[in-house]
Amino acid sequence: MTTPLLEIEDLYAKVDGKEIIKGFNLTINYGEIHAIMGPNGAGKSTLSNVLCGKPGYEATSGTVRFKGKDLFSLSPEERACEGLFLSMQYPVEIPGVPVTSFLKHSVNAIRSYRGEPELDTMEFIKMVRAEGKKLGLDAEMIKRAVNVGFSGGEKKRLETLQMSVLKPVLAILDEADSGLDIDALRVVAEGVNSLHTKQNGLLIITHYQRLLNYIVPDFVHVYADGKIVKTGSKELALELEEKGYAEFVKEKE
Amino acid sequence: MTIQLENIALISNDLPWLHNLREQGLLSYKKYGIPTAKTENWKYTKPNRFFEQNFTPVSRGNNVLGNSSVTVPFDCYYVYFENGVFNPHLSNLPQGIEIIPIIEAIMFQPNIRDKIGALVDVDKYPFAALNTAYLNEGIYLHVDSNVDISKPIVFIYHTTALNNAELYNVRNLIVIDSNSSIKIAELYCYDGVIKSSYVINVVNEMFIANDAKLYHYKVQNDAFKAGHITFNAAKVCRNGKYNSFCLQKGADMARHETKVFLSEEGAIADINGAYLMNGWATIDITTDIEHQKPHTISSQLIKGVVGGQAKGVFQGKIHIAPNAIKTEGYQLHKAMLLSDDAEIDVKPELEIYADDVKCSHGSACGELDQDQLFYMRSRGIKEDVAKQLLIDAYLNDVIAKVDDEKIQDWIKLSLKDDLLK
Repeated sequence: MTTPLLEIEDLYAKVDGKEIIKGFNLTINYGEIHAIMGPNGAGKSTLSNVLCGKPGYEATSGTVRFKGKDLFSLSPEERACEGLFLSMQYPVEIPGVPVTSFLKHSVNAIRSYRGEPELDTMEFIKMVRAEGKKLGLDAEMIKRAVNVGFSGGEKKRLETLQMSVLKPVLAILDEADSGLDIDALRVVAEGVNSLHTKQNGLLIITHYQRLLNYIVPDFVHVYADGKIVKTGSKELALELEEKGYAEFVKEKE
Repeated sequence: MTIQLENIALISNDLPWLHNLREQGLLSYKKYGIPTAKTENWKYTKPNRFFEQNFTPVSRGNNVLGNSSVTVPFDCYYVYFENGVFNPHLSNLPQGIEIIPIIEAIMFQPNIRDKIGALVDVDKYPFAALNTAYLNEGIYLHVDSNVDISKPIVFIYHTTALNNAELYNVRNLIVIDSNSSIKIAELYCYDGVIKSSYVINVVNEMFIANDAKLYHYKVQNDAFKAGHITFNAAKVCRNGKYNSFCLQKGADMARHETKVFLSEEGAIADINGAYLMNGWATIDITTDIEHQKPHTISSQLIKGVVGGQAKGVFQGKIHIAPNAIKTEGYQLHKAMLLSDDAEIDVKPELEIYADDVKCSHGSACGELDQDQLFYMRSRGIKEDVAKQLLIDAYLNDVIAKVDDEKIQDWIKLSLKDDLLK
């Protein structure tokens, strides 16, 4: 395919009037896995929030094309319907809204955007149960309110369940490994790997190399002070694990 | 103001008792008039603004009975009011319960007369005074002892408002004898094409005997130019229970006021409600619980969602008499504002004159959680659908207070439309 999945060109963005992203460039093609690594406070989560359209995160210049479309002309829900998915670092608790109801609205919103018929409750429950089983999710969990009283591991599994049900074209995993023990990490990583094909892409945002042992990236980017300062192969991650981010942070000062 | 009183003569009749009662109502109404911002009990709702136009009370004499058939989606009995007039032909009444026009009951059952007005102080409630002045329409509902009817009796208040600025006064007397239990659900609705303004002014006087229970549900969905005023006054005797839930979502100016007298030991009041609106509406829920005796219990949960430039009002009073020890009174109000111009006014009042009681009250206002909203949108759910889901979730716990599942479903269904338009 000739059109890249995601093209970010010279992106600048502000949060609360403060410039956080300063001249960011990245191209992701179909079938690729990219990892962005960087120190705390580099603006990694800002990047994912800008891409997904969170209110308050304002792109001030530059362009982002998603499947060739101007991303910023789309509302957050349209981006999701086009196949963009953000697995959040801190999944939000929604008291009073059961997982099933939330997911059903989500699945059917995306299906109807794509002109596919909506799933009825039986079809939907069957699908969610099957996907949930793969991730080792307790069937009772999907009856509970979204993320309310969930452990860190359960929250991340639920994010992965959503990803497997919504089948995004580009999934951004923002600190998908935070709060996970080794077993949970493996389950989440296996879930993510099983969804990865030549027809989609992955962008992994992380501090640590650990997750990249399980989800192996094609490219590793070092992100510091609002832009990518170095790009390499998966070996770069190992190097960072060893040396830390000091050289990149220092460079700016 | 502006309610034209001269045609009161139309409904006068020869019964001196009734004539005197109406006269008292009229005198009080003339004395106090429509409440304004200066009337303590109405200072937030300021109904005088709504009553700038002239409203004309109507009764059977100058009204036309329609044949529309509004229904609710569950099995029930119907008591049908069209433009405030009871229509027995459209109704489907239960066996074993007496339901007759109130005027008939007054004429032929003199023993009920001492109940009419017994719970309504016309000097304190100006719209109840007006209702008394025009007492003509409404029903008398009487349940004998030891009758348990689980199928709800639904009062449909359907308005077609053929002429502009009509005022409908409805007065109901509900008497439940000992150890009986019934469920009443009210639906206030209007003809879909209605453009005129009207006011519906209902007083329910309810007497709940020892060990009797009244479950009283309501969905208020009056027309957007309408005024809606209801006064529910209940007297609960030993171990009796008054349980109510009101969903207020229609009308331009709406007041749902509840006064409960827990008059003997073991009496319980469980008063819940939700209001939601946008546009320019003012919606008011006012409660006043009088714990007159020891070992009485009241609890209240009211939740509101207000958008546009609308205003929500909650005034809740708990009064505990000096001898009423070991009583419990709980009150909680919560509201969510959907816009910067929406307004919530809250006035909780606790008057506790006894020791050894358990009482609490609380009120909280918040907004839609933007993180929750974004989370849902980032999963493809449209903003308005996401908001609706969050609002439904917010109101879930108060609707769960309705302990009839079919009525719960009906109330949830009534929440769905038009709030976010």
